[in-house]
Amino acid sequence: MTDAAPAAPRPLIDSNDSRRPHGLLLVAIPVFLVAWLVIWPIINAIGRTLWRPDATGALGFNLDSYVFFFSDQYSINNLTITLWTTLVCAILLLAICLPISLYLRFSHGKLPAYVQAMAIFPMFVPSIILAYAFIRVLGPNGMVDILLNSVGLPKIRTPYLTPWGAVIGLVWDNIPLTVLILLSGLGNVANPAIEAARDVGANRFQVFWHIILPRISNSVLVAISFAVLGIFSSFTLPYLLGPASPEMMGPFMNRTFREVNDPLNAITQAVITFCFCIAFGLFYVRSVAHNQGK
Amino acid sequence: MKRRDFMISAAGVVAGSALLPRMSFAAEGVIDWYTSSDTNILDFWANTVKPAFEAANPGISINLVDAGDGAGIIAIGERAMAAKEQGADPQADFFESGDALLPSGAIEAGVYTNIKEAGLSNYAKVNPLAIESDYSLPYRGSQVLLAYDSTKLSAADAPKNWDDLVTWIKANPGQFVYNRPDKGGSGGNFVRRAIHQANGLDPSAFTVDNYTEEFGNEALTKAWDILSDIAPSLYDNGAYSSGNTQSIQLLSQGVVTMTPVWSDQVLQAISQGVLPENTGLVQLQDLALAGGFTRSIVIENGVNRDASLKLADFILSEEIQSAILTELGGFPGVSWDYVSPELRERFADIVPTSIPTFPGGDWAGAINDGWYRNVAPNVDRNS
Repeated sequence: MTDAAPAAPRPLIDSNDSRRPHGLLLVAIPVFLVAWLVIWPIINAIGRTLWRPDATGALGFNLDSYVFFFSDQYSINNLTITLWTTLVCAILLLAICLPISLYLRFSHGKLPAYVQAMAIFPMFVPSIILAYAFIRVLGPNGMVDILLNSVGLPKIRTPYLTPWGAVIGLVWDNIPLTVLILLSGLGNVANPAIEAARDVGANRFQVFWHIILPRISNSVLVAISFAVLGIFSSFTLPYLLGPASPEMMGPFMNRTFREVNDPLNAITQAVITFCFCIAFGLFYVRSVAHNQGK
Repeated sequence: MKRRDFMISAAGVVAGSALLPRMSFAAEGVIDWYTSSDTNILDFWANTVKPAFEAANPGISINLVDAGDGAGIIAIGERAMAAKEQGADPQADFFESGDALLPSGAIEAGVYTNIKEAGLSNYAKVNPLAIESDYSLPYRGSQVLLAYDSTKLSAADAPKNWDDLVTWIKANPGQFVYNRPDKGGSGGNFVRRAIHQANGLDPSAFTVDNYTEEFGNEALTKAWDILSDIAPSLYDNGAYSSGNTQSIQLLSQGVVTMTPVWSDQVLQAISQGVLPENTGLVQLQDLALAGGFTRSIVIENGVNRDASLKLADFILSEEIQSAILTELGGFPGVSWDYVSPELRERFADIVPTSIPTFPGGDWAGAINDGWYRNVAPNVDRNS
């Protein structure tokens, strides 16, 4: 054994070409599933709404269902409320989650552990349970009303069955993911950098703006993209907590398909929803690529 | 490639394929049962029908599956049609609730069993008024009633006809709510009652195949006017709950005074304490709110067709039909002569003399779309 040469330590990143084939093999299954269950239905949906028989039965290029969507005030209202809800939720999520994650990153002890558990808790609550709990707490004559009443205050204007109902539910539901992504981003901020900035007299805001934010801008982008993509096509919460009309795209598509028995317009709505989501997605991919290129 | 690397790749492939959906086959002796009804019906089957049937028929068990809603049942019906074409196993035997006409062509394809000719010993007991097709079996009924909080409204003042109801709604703004018509039958049949009101109180004016765009627009527009007229006086200046249960929840929280409800659901809510004992129930006397029978379907090409027919016969037995009255709060699918005299006496109040119904088919789509476009948005909620 003594004359055997000591083996060189294996490098962390193995550049040996012979390892590549089985790496590809491992990703083949997820790639195949995505192509089969996601990419193909998308192509199929676009094809079925664009190339279809006209009144005479001849197969051809046909934009009618899209023209109908964008000339129909009811559909436009639904798209508008979806964009509004998504935007408001994104702003509220950042406003709520950024302070929470900054607190969790820069404090020590037992209390932050409890705060973190609280912030992650919504992840383990199914949204349908959340919706009914919301109705019992914030709904009309719910717990908040009972508490206010017991100290002689007037009832709140309940957000149940208004657009704000969906916003509050969706924000609560998306807090865990957003906090986790921001927290992982804050892991990249080195303590010495902050201490150095403090030493030259930077105040808290300056430290945040010049030292922390540039380092976590990528995480913020990722967090917002994930939240926006999920919220744009959400179903359960806007359906149970939001108004009957205007409705968000998720309930609208589902209703058009199942209750109105109109698959063509339902698919058209789905393609339009997908186009908005892919626009958000491309924006995110471009920013990440741009950051990595630097 | 080294042996270790090969092992890792092979393990990855095996693990990945294990996650792919596996083929499954229906089991002989296990009836695959689907429903589109609410949870109270599923509970009734799980706690009452299933144990009784399995005790009476050793070797047969029922696999209860919630198909969600009517569209879910239709999807499984389509699957059975596709399976029939290919000679495959439909993995479905029994629909607790279904429409024999949907999916269209199912009867012609031979997917649904002709129950009339299947030789059920109890078939002759079925209420003839309830039979819609030879391919479906009406085994329970329920109707939509108005439930109200009797601490705020006395039984003497409760509205007994449509005009009184509209007057009451307008005199008590914010105290009435009905759910979106596509999300539950209580609101759906309230909307259909408004359609009857707008078209001369004649349920026979609407049949499953007389929908045309012209007639639909004419008949429905008048109903949308009626509903838009009361909208500002509804709960929260025109909000609509998203299902039967949510309407009951608003009533139980004391938010509204009155809401339309399914008879079986409200009786169960009262017996479970969700609604107080003194909840008032009233039916409109000029024309009742629409209701209907729930019809079961047996899948002809299912693996357990014969066992399913036994089940179909079983649910018409006096044991189950009485339980529908006493435990479910529905009314029986068999004629009243076949219900014990004692029960007949006890439930005299909810025994309907007639149940107006409203056809499905193209009407359903037109109503669902029209209501959302014409009634739901026409209110300034902020006023």
